[in-house]
Amino acid sequence: MVQQLKEVDVVVIGVGMVGSILAKELAAAGYKVVGLERGSTRFTVPEFQSPGIHDELRFDVRKALMQDNTREPVTFRNTSSQTGLPIRRWESFLPGTGLGGSMVHWNGQTYRFQANDFELATRTRERYGQGFLDPDVTIQDWGVTYDELEPHYDRFEYLLGTSGKAGNLKGQIQPGGDPHESPRSREYPTPPQKEHYSGALFRKAASSLGYHPFPQPSSNLSQPYTNPEGLKMNTCVFCGFCERYACEHYAKSTPQTFILPVLLANPNFELRTGCQVQRINLDSTKKRATGVTYIDNAGREFEQPAALVITCLFAINNIRMLLLSGIGKPYDPATGKGVVGRNYAYQTMSTVASFFDEDVIVNPFMASGASGTLINDFAGDNFDHSGLGFIGGAFIGAVNTNGRPIQYHPTPPGTPAWGKGWKDAVLKHYNHTIMFSLHGSSVSQRQNYADLDPTYKDAWGQPLLRITFDFPKNDLKMAEYVTARGAEIGKAMGAKQVAGNPRKAPYTTQQYQTTHNTGGTVMGNDPGTSVVNRYLQSWDVPNVFVIGASAYPQNASWNPTGTLGALTYWVADALKNKYLKNPGRLVSP
Amino acid sequence: MKLPAAPNVTRRSFVVSAGAATVIPPAAALVAGSAQAVAAAAHHPAHAAPAERTYLFFNVAEVQFIEAACERLIPADEPGAAALGAGALAAGVPNYLDRQLGGAWGAGERLYRSGPWIQGTPSQGYQLPFTPAELFRTALRAINTELAKRGPQFSELSAAAQDDYLKSLEKDNHDLDGVPSAVFFDMLLKMTVEGFFSDPVYGGNHDMVAWRMIGFPGAYADYYEAIDRHGVKFERVPLSIGADGHGHMHVQSEIPASVG
Amino acid sequence: MKYVLLLLLGAGVATAATPPPEAAACQACHGARGEGVVDGDKPRLAGQSAHYLDKQLQDFASGARDNAIMSAIARALNTQTRSKLAAYYAALPVPAALAVPTSLAVPTSLEHTTATAAQAGRGHQLAIEGAEGKRVQACNNCHGPEGSGVALSAPALAGQLAAYLAAQLKSFQQGSRKNDAGSLMRSVASQLDEADITAVASYYASIPSSH
Repeated sequence: MVQQLKEVDVVVIGVGMVGSILAKELAAAGYKVVGLERGSTRFTVPEFQSPGIHDELRFDVRKALMQDNTREPVTFRNTSSQTGLPIRRWESFLPGTGLGGSMVHWNGQTYRFQANDFELATRTRERYGQGFLDPDVTIQDWGVTYDELEPHYDRFEYLLGTSGKAGNLKGQIQPGGDPHESPRSREYPTPPQKEHYSGALFRKAASSLGYHPFPQPSSNLSQPYTNPEGLKMNTCVFCGFCERYACEHYAKSTPQTFILPVLLANPNFELRTGCQVQRINLDSTKKRATGVTYIDNAGREFEQPAALVITCLFAINNIRMLLLSGIGKPYDPATGKGVVGRNYAYQTMSTVASFFDEDVIVNPFMASGASGTLINDFAGDNFDHSGLGFIGGAFIGAVNTNGRPIQYHPTPPGTPAWGKGWKDAVLKHYNHTIMFSLHGSSVSQRQNYADLDPTYKDAWGQPLLRITFDFPKNDLKMAEYVTARGAEIGKAMGAKQVAGNPRKAPYTTQQYQTTHNTGGTVMGNDPGTSVVNRYLQSWDVPNVFVIGASAYPQNASWNPTGTLGALTYWVADALKNKYLKNPGRLVSP
Repeated sequence: MKLPAAPNVTRRSFVVSAGAATVIPPAAALVAGSAQAVAAAAHHPAHAAPAERTYLFFNVAEVQFIEAACERLIPADEPGAAALGAGALAAGVPNYLDRQLGGAWGAGERLYRSGPWIQGTPSQGYQLPFTPAELFRTALRAINTELAKRGPQFSELSAAAQDDYLKSLEKDNHDLDGVPSAVFFDMLLKMTVEGFFSDPVYGGNHDMVAWRMIGFPGAYADYYEAIDRHGVKFERVPLSIGADGHGHMHVQSEIPASVG
Repeated sequence: MKYVLLLLLGAGVATAATPPPEAAACQACHGARGEGVVDGDKPRLAGQSAHYLDKQLQDFASGARDNAIMSAIARALNTQTRSKLAAYYAALPVPAALAVPTSLAVPTSLEHTTATAAQAGRGHQLAIEGAEGKRVQACNNCHGPEGSGVALSAPALAGQLAAYLAAQLKSFQQGSRKNDAGSLMRSVASQLDEADITAVASYYASIPSSH
C-alpha cells in the first residue's frame, strides 16, 4: 500500500555534502524542500566524541561509518568477459551513509582542479596532437571552465574554512604556495596547518631537486574560524584519526560543522531519515519526473511528488538511481551507444616508502588527514608529456595521515609476512618510515563503465550496480613515471632504503586505494556523450538534476571533493537564478 | 613451543586465573618517587602469560591450534619474555579472536551473504558463503583431522614444524572441507594482527603491550604542541578507550560495527 | 593513576620525601603538600602533569600567561629549578582530605552560586559528551578519562579546586588567559555560559583523584 504525500517544490535525494548545501540554498530562497536520507542522523555530540571514536578496529577495519554491505553492496568485474560478483566487504572504496554523508569521515584534502582539466580533450589535442592518446581513451571536455567555477570554488573553501597558502593570486605567483595552480581570486580562509616532520624533510628534498613543494590544503582547520553561515569551527589537534573517523573537536569541515545547523533550523526544509529512495518516478512521456518513491525503515512505501528532483548521492549511487529510474540511455560498451554508466573512472594510487635509521623519529600518529607537503610538478599537464606515451600525472607528497597500527606498520620489501622476522621489522621501522602518496589521475576508457547487475540484488530486491573497471594502460605508464620521480625525492631525503610501489593491473577491490569513484553521469555539451548538461541537468528529464563526482568525464590528479563543492554552488546558482524562475531546459541539446 | 595442556578442561571452564599473570606497565608510566607507585611495582612482577584465557567460542581442540598458531604468527621474543617482547599469546590475541568469532562480526555482520556463489578472480575478493565463525569452525576441524592422520596435534609439534605447517596452509591452498587453506590462513593472520594492535577494550593487545612496543600512544590523541617538536620521540604511556581515570581497563568487546 | 612524563634534567630530581628548597615559596600559597587553597585561587599542584606545570611556569615568566604574583616568582627561577619543582609537585599524592564523594558535587567556595545536583549532571555531561547546541566537545577528549589528564597534552582537572577551574574558564572566555596553543581552550570557553562553567568546575572538583 503506497502512501501518497503532498507535493513539495524540491526533493533532494541524499543529505550529504551536496544535498546539505543545495537544500540550504533552496530553502533559504523560499522553496519547500524535502531531504531524503537512507541513513540516520548523527552529530558531533554525541556520535563523534572520544575516546570511542578513536577505535581503529571499529572504524578502520570494520568500517562502522560506511554503507552496510548486507543491504546495498556493488558488484564488480575487471572486464566484460568476466561475471560481476558482489563486493561482500568493502576494501578498495568505502561509500558512506547517514546525514552528512562521506564528508563526515573524509580526510579533508581540499583541492581545485586546474584550468586544463576542464578542457582536457581539447587541450591535449592542441598540445600533443591528434594521435597521442590510446584509441580506447574517452576523455572529454566538461562543458564548464575553471574561470566559470572559480567563484564557486572560493565560496566552497570559505564555507569550509580550508587551511592553505595560495600559489597564484589573480595571476601573481605567490611564494610558499603551489605555482602550478590556476589563478584564485583570494587567499585561503585560514593559513596552512603546521607541517609534520615528514613534510619538512620532503620539502627540503623536493626543493633541492628544483621542485615546488607547498602545504597540502586542509579542511582540518589550522585555527578557529567562523564561516559565512555563522558557524564556528575549532583548531585541529592532529589526532591522527581522520579518514574513516568523525571529528570530535568541531575541527574537520563536515556538513555537521559547516552547514547543517543552519539547514535544519529552516522551516522550509524537512529532513526524513531512514528513507531508501527506490526510484525517481516519471510521467507517461518519460520526460518529466513526478517525484520519487521511497521505503522507510519500517518497510512502508511512500510516493513523494515534487516539481524538481535533485539526486545528490555518492557518485556510483547516482548512476544506479538513473538506471533504476529509466532516465537516460544506459551505456553498452559493445555498441558504444548510450551514456548512463559511461566514462566511469577512479584514481591511480602509488606509494613510495622511505626507510630511515632509528635516529630519524617520524611520529606518524601525529597527523591530520591533510597535513602533508606536496608537489604538483608531476601532476596534470604541469610537465611536458612529449615522448612519454601517457597523459595525466599525480601529486607527490609526504602525506602522513596516521600511524594507526593495525593497518599502518610499514616494512621493507622482502620482509616475511609473519613470524619473528615480521615482528622485528615492524618494531624497527614503525617510527622511522616516511610514506609518500602519489595521487594519480584516471582517464576514462570505453571498456570501463557501470550498469545494473543481472543477478545480485539489494535488500529491497532491486538490482545492484555493476562496475566494470581496470586501469587503462595510459594510467599504468603514468604510475611508473611518477613513482620513479617520487623515489628520487626519497633518496634525496637521505633515506637508507627507498621502495617505490607503482600501481599495477589488475585493479583489485581488495586493497584500499581511494573512494574517488567518478563518472557514469557525465556532464558536457553533447548529449551523445553526456548524461547531464553543463548545469548538471538531465538531457532527458529537465526537472531532474544529478550532482556528484559522477559528473566528471574523467578524474584529475587531485581529490574530487573540492571540485564537487564548486559544482554544487555553480548548480545552486543556476537553479535559483535560471531554472526555478523559468523551469525548462537550460541548454538546447 | 609446547604449551601445557590444561587437565579436565571443558570449554566454558577453560580459565587461567587472572591473579597469576598480570603485565605491569613499564616504569616510565609510574610516577617515580611516589611511595604508592613503588609498592605497586613490587606486587606485580612482569609476566608473559595473558591475563585471561576464558574461551566461549573455541573448544579445547581448537584452542590448542589457535594459541600455538597465533604465537607462531607473532612470537614472543623468548619464552617468558618481558612485556616489551610479548607475542600474540601474552597479548591475548586468542582471547580477542574468541570474542570476535563468538560475536556479531563472527556471525556475519556487514557481510553480503546472498548467492549465487561463484569463485571469482583475486580482484573480486571473498566469495564464499561462510561467515567468519563458520569458516573457522570448518577449517579448524579439517586441520585437526588432517594433522591427527599424520601424528601429533599442532600444539605438540616443534616450532619449526609448526611454521612449516602454517606455510603449507598459506602457500599450497589445499582444501579444508570447502575452505581453501589460504583463505583461512589470510583471515587468521589478519585477525591476529588485529588482536595484537587493536585497542585493549576488545580483549587483545593486553595491557597495551603491542602499543608500547612500537610507541603508539592510543586513543587519547592531542598532538597540537608535540607536532612542532620534529624528530623528538613522544614518550607517553598509551591510553585505551576502556581506561578509566584510575588506571583500570574495562574490556567491552561487543562494540557494534555500525553507528546509528 | 596519573600518566605523567617526568622531565629529568641532570641532577635535580626530587622525591616525595625531600622537597627542594625552592618549594618553600610555593608552599606558602599552594599548601604544605601542594593541595591548593580552597576559598582562594591557588590551585592544587600535587599530582598535576609535570610537563604542564613546567610550561605554566615558563609562560608566567615570559608573560604568555598573565599573573602578577606568579610572573615575579617564575622569573626568579632558572630552567633547571623550574623542572625540578614541576617534577616534585607532579610526584606528590593528592591529599585524601580533598577527596569528595562524586554524588555530592557541591563546591564550598564558588563566589556566586552553589552547584546543585542538576548542575553536577550537566557538568558530567559536558565532561564526557559535550553539548551540540553549544558546539562544545567533551572535555575528556583532551583531558583524559575522568579528567585525569593526558601527559604532554592536557592537564588533569580531576580533584582540582572548583573555584580555580571556574576562574580559568572565565579567563579563557574573556581572553585574559591566552597561553592555550591553538586557542583550544578559548574556543571551548567562549561557548559556555555561567551555569555550564559552574557545573563543569564543580563536577571535576568532585572527582576523587586516585594516586
